[in-house]
Amino acid sequence: MDAAQIHARLVERFAEAVLGFEQELIDPAIAVAAGRIREIAQYLRDDAALQMDFLRCLTGVDRRETLEVVYHLLSTVHLHTIVLKVQVAPDGARVDSVWDLWRTAEWYEREAFDLLGIGFTGHPDLRRIMMPDDWEGHPLRKDYVFSGEYHGITAERSDGLDAFGAPATDKKAAQARGAAAAAAPPSAEEPSATAATVSAEVAETTSPVEPPVAAEKTPRIDEPGESPSTGKASRLSPPTAFQPAMHTAKADPVEGYIQLNMGPHHPASHGVLNFLLFTDGEILSRVIPDVGYLHRGMEKLAESMPYASTMPYTDRIDYLASMFGNWGWALAAEKLLGIEVPPRAEFCRVIAGELNRIASHLIGTGSTSLDLGAFTPFVHWLRERETVNDIMEMICGARLTYNYMRIGGVARDISQQVVDKTRRWLDHFLGIIDEFDRLISFNEIFVKRLANVAVISPQDALSWGLVGPNLRASGVAWDLRRAEPYSVYPELQFDLVLGKGWRGQVGDAYDRFYCRIEEMRQSVGILRQAFDRMPEGEIRAELPRKIKPAANEVYSRVESARGEMGFYVVSDGTDKPYRARYRTGSFTSMSIIEHLSPGLMVADLVALIGSLDVIAPEVDR
Amino acid sequence: MTGPKLEQRIEPEEELALPNVLTTRLDLALNWFRKSSVWYLLFATACCGIELMQTGGPRTDLDRFGAVFRSSPRQSDLLIVAGTITYKMADRVRLIYNQMPQPKYVIAMGSCANCGGLFTPSYSVVNGVDKIIPVDFYLPGCPPRPEALNEALIKVQEKIQGEPWFKKIKVAR
Ligand code: SF4
Repeated sequence: MDAAQIHARLVERFAEAVLGFEQELIDPAIAVAAGRIREIAQYLRDDAALQMDFLRCLTGVDRRETLEVVYHLLSTVHLHTIVLKVQVAPDGARVDSVWDLWRTAEWYEREAFDLLGIGFTGHPDLRRIMMPDDWEGHPLRKDYVFSGEYHGITAERSDGLDAFGAPATDKKAAQARGAAAAAAPPSAEEPSATAATVSAEVAETTSPVEPPVAAEKTPRIDEPGESPSTGKASRLSPPTAFQPAMHTAKADPVEGYIQLNMGPHHPASHGVLNFLLFTDGEILSRVIPDVGYLHRGMEKLAESMPYASTMPYTDRIDYLASMFGNWGWALAAEKLLGIEVPPRAEFCRVIAGELNRIASHLIGTGSTSLDLGAFTPFVHWLRERETVNDIMEMICGARLTYNYMRIGGVARDISQQVVDKTRRWLDHFLGIIDEFDRLISFNEIFVKRLANVAVISPQDALSWGLVGPNLRASGVAWDLRRAEPYSVYPELQFDLVLGKGWRGQVGDAYDRFYCRIEEMRQSVGILRQAFDRMPEGEIRAELPRKIKPAANEVYSRVESARGEMGFYVVSDGTDKPYRARYRTGSFTSMSIIEHLSPGLMVADLVALIGSLDVIAPEVDR
Repeated sequence: MTGPKLEQRIEPEEELALPNVLTTRLDLALNWFRKSSVWYLLFATACCGIELMQTGGPRTDLDRFGAVFRSSPRQSDLLIVAGTITYKMADRVRLIYNQMPQPKYVIAMGSCANCGGLFTPSYSVVNGVDKIIPVDFYLPGCPPRPEALNEALIKVQEKIQGEPWFKKIKVAR
């Protein structure tokens, strides 16, 4: 069913609640009345002919006069998509929550509340997710200005220049002199104050839990006035008492349970992730993930620079699989501009992407074994990964943050030398995978740690928006390379690797682990085919000198190593995106942990995190 | 057989002593021990952490220098801040630093830890970890290559070797 037909059905059923239809958009959107969104969403999900069982992305856009909530829906059964939009007033913005229709919405709505100040009625736990609890304002609002100081840490540079290395403006120079180090610049005062009141009000009226108050609960830098780089005393200052900064009714101590904090610095937590554990001895009663420790504000940064300049930032969304960030961003811009990429460039992309998928799965599976106590397999994988790094260096000059793709093509051609080296390595690597299997995958102790642990049913996997190997391990055959083919994937042969319950049940931690091993084998096959079929020709399309797409909206998606990576880009006709939104696999995998954890052992939690292959920058962006 | 025979090793005492005695300053000896076992904390916050991991891997192999990773700050001598520090993380970095025993050293690895790097204009990123904790060495790069991190470790060793160790202990108390 295409968008027009879906629109017709909605009009037929809800008549006046359907406010508009933006058919000219690349991904057509239907505007609906804010008060009816729940009803309409439920209909879309439950109607047999529609079956929108997957909420791809939920986010907000600040349209200045109004705030817009955007829902990207997908039916994995009928393979159709639709975008819903709801307009709300910026002060006291409120819309019905859909968290119980698609459980993944719980975290998406928290994010929209945190970064845009949109309230969701009926949400079970509406509080900040990325920013600290005592943060002021909502950063993705267009009128947001950062005060330049948080807990005594200032954002100034020691050389007095501004953030881009240019001479500071008068206002900033005044700030540097200490005139208003702590206070917000006058222009910022009003909007941020309004936003703060709004958020407090929203939290009060909509959330059944206590609104986030009590700033003094958060551990502060002990001597805010003193700069540690100059003062010797700070080196010797006593450690601050640690308190988890999670102000939610859920996090209150429970009688009979031990409250334990795991992270944000924890050797088995895959980057800076934090978990609040409630345990009864070894058994977990609840795990509350706390994220945002690596929230680098990339979406806001993308709004401040031209399309091409965002490319290096997309490397860092998921640094283990940078190519896919590049790819998704290039694809978004290409769709907005309506450019065709030359065939050779498409093959270069596939080759670089699949190599990167292998490199990423090496770390994913290797660190799982490391977390469970097996160091040797991890070191084997590190050795193999060094070769991939070498090949990547030959392709694009970088080992980790590739910045290889360009809007309209790729930066450099793939030479015959690279092809030969990669072919030789692939022959060797297939043997090494078998060796790895003998060493660890089929090791009895290792299998027992993973089999039948944290089983995810297909329904749960879809409801929580899991993607990539995590979704396929639950037996759902969904891979964007197949389902919504892009680039030259339709020409290439490969199998979807689905969870089979290799050592336990379908969808357990072992399936998630072994799916990745099998996917590496598939990637080897794809690479060999790509080398055979790569045509000669151009590697970059003709582009206008200044990239200035017409006003439009696009949701581009690629199948990253961690599943669907989506880029929702709103263009307003200028050379900078009006809004850029990154949808990532780890964010949703992280949100399911709370649901899966009750009844697990503490050690199983490590296996669960490892098998989901979550990575902090992708969660936080 | 080039090695000495067993009977030859059992020699009169005065002869045995001479080739096996080494005189040195206590500082030098202690520093030599210390620099040969710089244990670093596994503290990877972002992309640079992956290169830190590769550096610990087989090719660059930091173990050669006696540097092995520890999971607890209480057992580490060296804090390699590998990656971006956000305001939300800042308090925890300070806490980790304070948990490390004296004497301790800090490498700010990568542009983010040096000055905020790519994310300097962002609203949520601390522009340099030296705003929170003292830093001994700044390692530029985005991310720095393993070879560069190796060099930084050697620099730390050089610093340790040159330190009047007893004096440092006094300061710490
Ligand atoms: S310096 Fe570059 S590679 Fe390192 S953490 Fe920062 S962005 Fe990532």
